[in-house]
Amino acid sequence: MNRQIPLVVCFSFGLMMFLQYFSTHTVARSLNLAILDYWQIIFAFTLILGVVSYIKVNMTKISRGIDRPYLIVGLIGMISMPIMALIWGIKADSPFMWMFENVQAPMASTVFALLAFFVASASFRGFRARSTQASILLGAALIILLSRSNLPIPYAENLSEFADWIRNYPSMTARRAILIGIGLGSLTTSLRVLLGIERTWLGGEN
Amino acid sequence: MSTIIIAQAFISTDRTGVFIISIIAILIVLYTTYFRNNKKPFTIRKINGLQAVEDAIGRATEMARPLLYTPGWGGDIQRPTTIASMNILSFVAEKTAQYDCDLVFPTHDPVIMSVAQEVVKESYSRTGYPDRYKEDNISYVSSSQFGYAAAVDGIISRTKPASIFLLGTFEAESLILAETGNSINAIQIAGTDSTIQLSFFIVACDYTLIGEELFAASGYLSGNKSILASVQAQDMMKVAIGLFVVIATIWATVESLSGNPLSNWWNF
Amino acid sequence: MHLLPRHFVFIGLFLLIGITMALDIDVDVKVSPYTKQMHAYIDSIPEGSTVIMSFDHEASSLPEIRPIALAMLRHAFSKNIKLIGVSLYPEGTLIGYRLMNNIGKEYNKTYGDDFVYLGFRPQYIAAILSMGESIEKTFPQDYLGYQYNAIPMLTSITNYDDINCVISIADGSLTTHWIEYGGQFDIKILGAVTAAMVTTYDPYLSSNQMTAMIGGLRGAAEYEKLFGMKGGGARGMLAQSAAHLYVIFLIVLGNIFYFRSRKKGAKN
Repeated sequence: MNRQIPLVVCFSFGLMMFLQYFSTHTVARSLNLAILDYWQIIFAFTLILGVVSYIKVNMTKISRGIDRPYLIVGLIGMISMPIMALIWGIKADSPFMWMFENVQAPMASTVFALLAFFVASASFRGFRARSTQASILLGAALIILLSRSNLPIPYAENLSEFADWIRNYPSMTARRAILIGIGLGSLTTSLRVLLGIERTWLGGEN
Repeated sequence: MSTIIIAQAFISTDRTGVFIISIIAILIVLYTTYFRNNKKPFTIRKINGLQAVEDAIGRATEMARPLLYTPGWGGDIQRPTTIASMNILSFVAEKTAQYDCDLVFPTHDPVIMSVAQEVVKESYSRTGYPDRYKEDNISYVSSSQFGYAAAVDGIISRTKPASIFLLGTFEAESLILAETGNSINAIQIAGTDSTIQLSFFIVACDYTLIGEELFAASGYLSGNKSILASVQAQDMMKVAIGLFVVIATIWATVESLSGNPLSNWWNF
Repeated sequence: MHLLPRHFVFIGLFLLIGITMALDIDVDVKVSPYTKQMHAYIDSIPEGSTVIMSFDHEASSLPEIRPIALAMLRHAFSKNIKLIGVSLYPEGTLIGYRLMNNIGKEYNKTYGDDFVYLGFRPQYIAAILSMGESIEKTFPQDYLGYQYNAIPMLTSITNYDDINCVISIADGSLTTHWIEYGGQFDIKILGAVTAAMVTTYDPYLSSNQMTAMIGGLRGAAEYEKLFGMKGGGARGMLAQSAAHLYVIFLIVLGNIFYFRSRKKGAKN
């Protein structure tokens, strides 16, 4: 019974959303709007779940002495930001905005910037001409990189056109094939869930 | 008469093509799942990434180090990729329960966290080791993309997992996580539906599940006949799409060569 | 990697980027057809039309996203296009408001008459679909707390039918959701995305599911050139070109090490 109710809810709403997509009737449109509203409301509640879980897990780990300094910093950040927003608001010169612009944004940008370093190390390690296929891949990568580097090299125009050709034909063909596979995979997975064939998301066996 | 008018108004003629194709797709899935799978046994080709799942769990057990599993920052629970990832998690959790290996699951989404806790708990109970389940190991870290990336990177650097599973929807954090995993010499199995991140995973990870392989994984790992049959439906639709593309291409080529105005029956 | 420690690779890149950024030398970029297409589309929008600009990014990608957003905002305001700002990521909300407000002031535009900022709505798929039904129901108030129907420029706006196009300024895959879900309402979608995401959107651009796209710092530099201004895009070009050359150097070096070790292996 525990499993039956969620399965029935899942199937009914799935069917309803599928059918409303094909209808322009006012009932269908307002039903769609109501479901979308509830979807957003439910999402807001899930954030509370996240906050509670975050505090609970971190407090447990702090009491056990695991990674204490990191967890304390994390908890201070999580508690102080909403408090600042509640007391001083989120206007341009508020402490919340100061923290957002001078702590949150630079820290997030720093982690994003790591990507450049990891691209460099991964290129060094991964792009090896181990086989014919790998050599073709390597050649294509070098052409694309050279064409994007604004170097005053001979035939730069032709190189750029060739790079665009690689991007628009061989590369795009492969991506489209993968995308079609993903689309069909998504479709069958969704149907398996709606029809109750796949129940792992409920914690149960298939 | 009024019933007819109401019935007509309920269906938008703009989307008739999509409706027909959707119904055909649903019928193919239903046919393969409920009828065809009883008649013929169906197997799918060897997928190296999935073959390596048990080895990766075994490695973590032998090295007495944890196993890290994360579904990426790009998806939420309604995304089929996340559901596919939960299916693989179920299998992985069964094995970690049997081998008594720590399973660490950080995520960016509270709902994914709850579902993962449920999936892992059930798997541990199913294998007869409910006492080995640690709820704190499945945690929400941050909804911010690079907050999540930094948190998972931190966990990888401090706990040094022997095996890392990056299965789900990933965005720019993919290479950051994969390279950090590589730097601690973890065996890494990745899989995603984000085409651009696939290239990063292929370079930095030991095994990569490309797109649809991720969706076939639960059938592959569990051997469930109904799920495997739906993979067969996928192949049937792929053939149909291939034929459609070939016919439309020939049609358009012939029309353009003969100088006739181009048809658009393939647009719907 | 053992032949060249990871740290040296990182330090080399850090020095190179630092030095080239400090030099502040202009690099002349050739404008790509993609950027021309985007510029031409914005140029063709009739004066007084309304465009939705969606700030679908986080603070992390600001160095790359900001030059693109600034160039596009300046172009739109200079063409007297009315702008509705929204954000589908919480972090993008404040950033989007500030950018739009600052550039609006630069062009003497009035809030409420020439541009408005509606703010953030959670669950991006639901928000995109819901705006297709009614923008007012999705955003009953704007970011500053004004009622939707009290804002002069919104009185004639009901849903996407009254909008010329949506420009999604994104650092991830959110533009895909605009294409997949917003596309159902026949609204034109334009993408201003980070360089890493450009190839993700190529298939959508070539199939006309996306009207135009510019990508990364280079796209910003090209757009700045077409618009006749000097901004963050052009300033970052030298560093980006140097980084590309550095990666080429690393790939070549990696292959030299690889072939040398293979030769040694064969001899032994």
